[in-house]
Amino acid sequence: MDHEETREQLELAAVEPGGLDRLMAGDTPLAQSVAGHLAGCESCTAELGRLRRSSAIIRADLHEMPPADLKSRTLAAIRAEGVQRPLVTATPGVAVMPLGDRAAASVTDTAAANGSPTAATRPRRTRTWSTLALVATIAAAVVLSVVTTSLIVGRRVDDQLAQQALTIGALEHVTTTTMTVAAQPDSDHVQLAGVTDPALDGSLVYSPGTTDLVVVATGLTEPAPGYEYRCWVEVNGQRERIGRMFFGGDLAYWAGATPAIAGTSSPRRFGVSLVDLSAPTLDAQPVLVGSD
Amino acid sequence: MTNGRWDPTDDAAVVLEMAAGSEAALEKLYDRHATAIFAAVYRMTSDRGTAEEVVQETFLTLWNRAETFDPMTGSLAAWLHAIARNRAIDRLRAIGRRPSLVGLGALSAPDEDPMQALERLAVRGSVVAGSTPADDPETAMTAAATRDALRHAMADMPEDERQVILLAYQEDLSQTEIAERLGWPLGTVKTRTRRALHRLRSALGSEFAPLADDAALPVPAGEDR
Repeated sequence: MDHEETREQLELAAVEPGGLDRLMAGDTPLAQSVAGHLAGCESCTAELGRLRRSSAIIRADLHEMPPADLKSRTLAAIRAEGVQRPLVTATPGVAVMPLGDRAAASVTDTAAANGSPTAATRPRRTRTWSTLALVATIAAAVVLSVVTTSLIVGRRVDDQLAQQALTIGALEHVTTTTMTVAAQPDSDHVQLAGVTDPALDGSLVYSPGTTDLVVVATGLTEPAPGYEYRCWVEVNGQRERIGRMFFGGDLAYWAGATPAIAGTSSPRRFGVSLVDLSAPTLDAQPVLVGSD
Repeated sequence: MTNGRWDPTDDAAVVLEMAAGSEAALEKLYDRHATAIFAAVYRMTSDRGTAEEVVQETFLTLWNRAETFDPMTGSLAAWLHAIARNRAIDRLRAIGRRPSLVGLGALSAPDEDPMQALERLAVRGSVVAGSTPADDPETAMTAAATRDALRHAMADMPEDERQVILLAYQEDLSQTEIAERLGWPLGTVKTRTRRALHRLRSALGSEFAPLADDAALPVPAGEDR
């Protein structure tokens, strides 16, 4: 074994935990060859010493470095679980809403179902929300957003334009998802009705096969800091979080994957509740409910 | 990166931007502080998974409770490290472990004097246990310079080399396991590993540098050196 072959074996062993010790044990033909070369080669023995020291430093240091994808995972978790702030990205026009965020959709809240009797017995509204009606509602929200922004003057106009681009991008996503979900053979619509406020209205379309779900609501106003509206689904008395409602124009919405609606024949009950973020629970009194 | 290349007093302004909803500001704060927080929690728990979870929770707390940060009472780094430390201790208690004894330096924010850190911990009633003495200033400076050099070398490294060296050193995978994970030929993995190792050793300084330079290493077919 020559110098280069020896150094290759030493380097490859150095990056594996305990690799150099195993190689130095000399209990394989390869290890014996390396040991034989080292016994008569001062420079390769010195190289072994340098490798031991440097590899130990590198290993210790890299173990203390966060993985590269931790940043994106942290930001995704904050988008899914963080309080609602008027998100502004460095790149205007790139939507950052957690639409379709499976992490958000899969977060389970095991709070027991606690819908009000009034809500549970409330008849579904007779008004039919067709897919086109849903899309028209979303389009109206886009128009409202554009009109509102066109009236803005002053130094915050850039921020407002960026926010408008985000809102429009998100609403476009909602529209596209609505059309896609409605085209599924197993898609279903659910009318959401205000529990105590008849001015609240909403609709939900979903596909148990793809688990995609879109919910939109009108009449809700953006909650105070420290609160957020959360959409949920209840199956067999078990409530699971769907996602945080976002606001665009006068529309509140959420769209994305909802594993909780997959593969069950049990009746599903959907709702939206105002959640206090200091003690988040889905037990809160719903403001909108509906069943399929 | 927490390496002193920004003005800590600027953190307060960035927190204000973030509180107004700027995700770019949140990213900036992550870039400045996440590495140091991860390292501190890893030193306490010796568990990378726990350190990852604590970093996520710490920045979620920053996002949710930005309004409660008061720059008059301390730096953002100290605030974040206090949150992270409490989260780490909670996790260790949950699994019945005591936190590793660490030097005061590990509990201090990067821009915080050890005496300030001790005062902060004492005021809060935190238990500050004894441990082996911290490195002397010269050793600590050398260690910091080493960390900085390695991180620059990692940042400047081609992505394919960075991938293999991180899988080897962070996840303790063998060359064969890395080849399987990445779907690369074993020979390619070995070559990229050696090239990455050469770069890192060179970054450590001449006393650690390999005898042979990169020119001695074979280049896999189809790759530029």
